[in-house]
Amino acid sequence: MSAVNLAIETGGIAFRNPILTASGTFGYGREFEGLTDLRALGGLVTKGISPKPRFGNATPRICETASGMLNSIGLENVGVEGFERDKLPYLRECGTRVLVNFFGATFDEYVDCGARLDALDGVDGLEMNVSCPNIKAGGIEFGTDPRVLRDLVRACRAAIRKPLWIKLTPNTSDIVALAVACAEGGADGLSIINTITGMAIDARTRRPKIATIFGGLSGPAIKPIALRMVYQVRRAGVSLPISGIGGIQDATDAIEFFLAGASTVQVGTQSFVDPDASGRIVRDLEARLAADGIHDVRELVGALVVK
Amino acid sequence: MIRGAWGRDPLLPRAFSLLAVGPGGTADILAKTVGRGTALLERALPGAEVDVLGPLGSNFPEPQADTTDLLVAGGVGLPPLYMQAAVAADRRQVARSEMIYGGRGGDDLVLLREMEAMGLNLFLTTENGAVGTKGLVTKALEARLEHHRGTPIRVMGCGPNAMLWAVARLARDKGVPCFISLEEQMACGIGVCLGCAIPARSRPYRYVCSNGPVFDAADVLDVEVTAAPVAPAACPA
Ligand SMILES: Cc1cc2nc3c(=O)[nH]c(=O)nc-3n(C[C@H](O)[C@H](O)[C@H](O)COP(=O)(O)OP(=O)(O)OC[C@H]3O[C@@H](n4cnc5c(N)ncnc54)[C@H](O)[C@@H]3O)c2cc1C
Ligand SMILES: Cc1cc2nc3c(=O)[nH]c(=O)nc-3n(C[C@H](O)[C@H](O)[C@H](O)COP(=O)(O)O)c2cc1C
Ligand code: FES
Repeated sequence: MSAVNLAIETGGIAFRNPILTASGTFGYGREFEGLTDLRALGGLVTKGISPKPRFGNATPRICETASGMLNSIGLENVGVEGFERDKLPYLRECGTRVLVNFFGATFDEYVDCGARLDALDGVDGLEMNVSCPNIKAGGIEFGTDPRVLRDLVRACRAAIRKPLWIKLTPNTSDIVALAVACAEGGADGLSIINTITGMAIDARTRRPKIATIFGGLSGPAIKPIALRMVYQVRRAGVSLPISGIGGIQDATDAIEFFLAGASTVQVGTQSFVDPDASGRIVRDLEARLAADGIHDVRELVGALVVK
Repeated sequence: MIRGAWGRDPLLPRAFSLLAVGPGGTADILAKTVGRGTALLERALPGAEVDVLGPLGSNFPEPQADTTDLLVAGGVGLPPLYMQAAVAADRRQVARSEMIYGGRGGDDLVLLREMEAMGLNLFLTTENGAVGTKGLVTKALEARLEHHRGTPIRVMGCGPNAMLWAVARLARDKGVPCFISLEEQMACGIGVCLGCAIPARSRPYRYVCSNGPVFDAADVLDVEVTAAPVAPAACPA
């Protein structure tokens, strides 16, 4: 027994500690075998799964930017069947909580995908990625219109019994309205934030640096925006627990998110910089709390001091 | 993948090929300074710590006793082929390998004495004609393919992708098996970010870091991307 409690039950799931890995940056877990100890993590979130496999976008798909990176992978994934057949057996035994990130191209696809994943043994919870273009609404992201979002969450909620977290897009002028919509739709938790739409240009060739022109910005560059959004949702009194995401590199970053109101955090791009980043953050967090005489990580959640 | 204590910027590790593996867990790389990451490596002092994740990815196929390997290196694409030649030399098969090595100018060609010491047959080219034959490696490769015509040969290439595609087309046109070590933008190096995708025949995309970097050229040369994604292609993440 350590003197510090890192365990936390939040969003319908009991975690060993509040450090998770973010979707799309941790594969399906197995890729990190031997590089980090999955059993030491609070949990992992899989790459986003769609009903059918997807092959992803044209290349180049990524480029580095100032203290961050842009990606437009195109949500390439193995599909529900491939996930169940090839990825889930390992995840069942991996010794950490498993949240499956999922999405669809239509309402029906979201519901279908969520319901099928819900039925799988070994899945502890679902995280819904709503940063996808809604074909029927001219390609606007599902997650940017509060009413559409509420209805989508409600429809998925009706089909999903396991904990359902909604991963909000930061590409909005009103994050609180989106959070409220998720609460109204019956979600169990919020993940804040997904990547921020951005662009990079090669001045020499006069071309965009990635094939789709626009991509999602991640990494330390986005941390202030992520913190702001977590805090705004918390301050507005939205009842759902928050998983904070965006540019987390070390235990101090994680603590900042807890203070802003997150009860768990997810490590994304930093796992590319250091595959053991999330493991290191768990170890450092424990040491840091012990040194500061904080006995329970839950004391930090929402403990921001604003005069 | 290699990264020094660079703080937050540049953020991502950089991909390098192994040049040689020494005793006691040491390894050599050959790095050309092209941007900030490589400049930071160049400036690193002896004893500086760097994070290394590796070795990762695939190798060129093993040397074979009855086959001549034409190793085609462009500039800083030398390391994996140098290692290939060293393996052949260790097995006393170096006579079955030859190195076609090109660069812009003479300064781009390095480790020549070491390769001569292996007993490796060297064919040098430079674009400005300062060293070896004037022109591109493909010109020299064409001559060597002609020279070996009718005997079992393979081509193995590493260098800028544009050079590799030219090498692979040449080999294809002559019906010679060809393996190339490709480059793509990388973030993770372990098949997770899906950033380093290249179109392939055997699957819509393969990953340079985890399926490659060495590919059978037949799988990746002139592939048209026909597989349409299920949803609109512009979906980020
Ligand atoms: C499998 C593989 C093996 C490699 N082996 C070697 C090697 O042995 N020796 C060597 O000197 N270089 C090698 N490279 C290239 C090396 O990774 C890049 O030169 C390096 O990442 C550039 O970093 P930078 O910060 O100096 O340049 P940046 O400022 O990042 O960019 C400068 C230029 O390099 C290109 N570049 C940047 N990052 C990459 C990348 N990850 N992959 C390819 N091109 C990139 C950019 O497009 C730009 O043109 C290899 C690349 C790959 C993918
Ligand atoms: C290469 C890459 C792929 C991603 N794929 C997904 C995905 O499939 N689903 C999703 O909801 N978020 C995805 N994300 C977003 C991350 O989970 C995370 O929200 C974002 O990167 C911000 O966190 P970070 O700054 O710590 O990386 C991806 C991010 C990156 C960099
Ligand atoms: S570099 Fe991440 S998948 Fe290849």
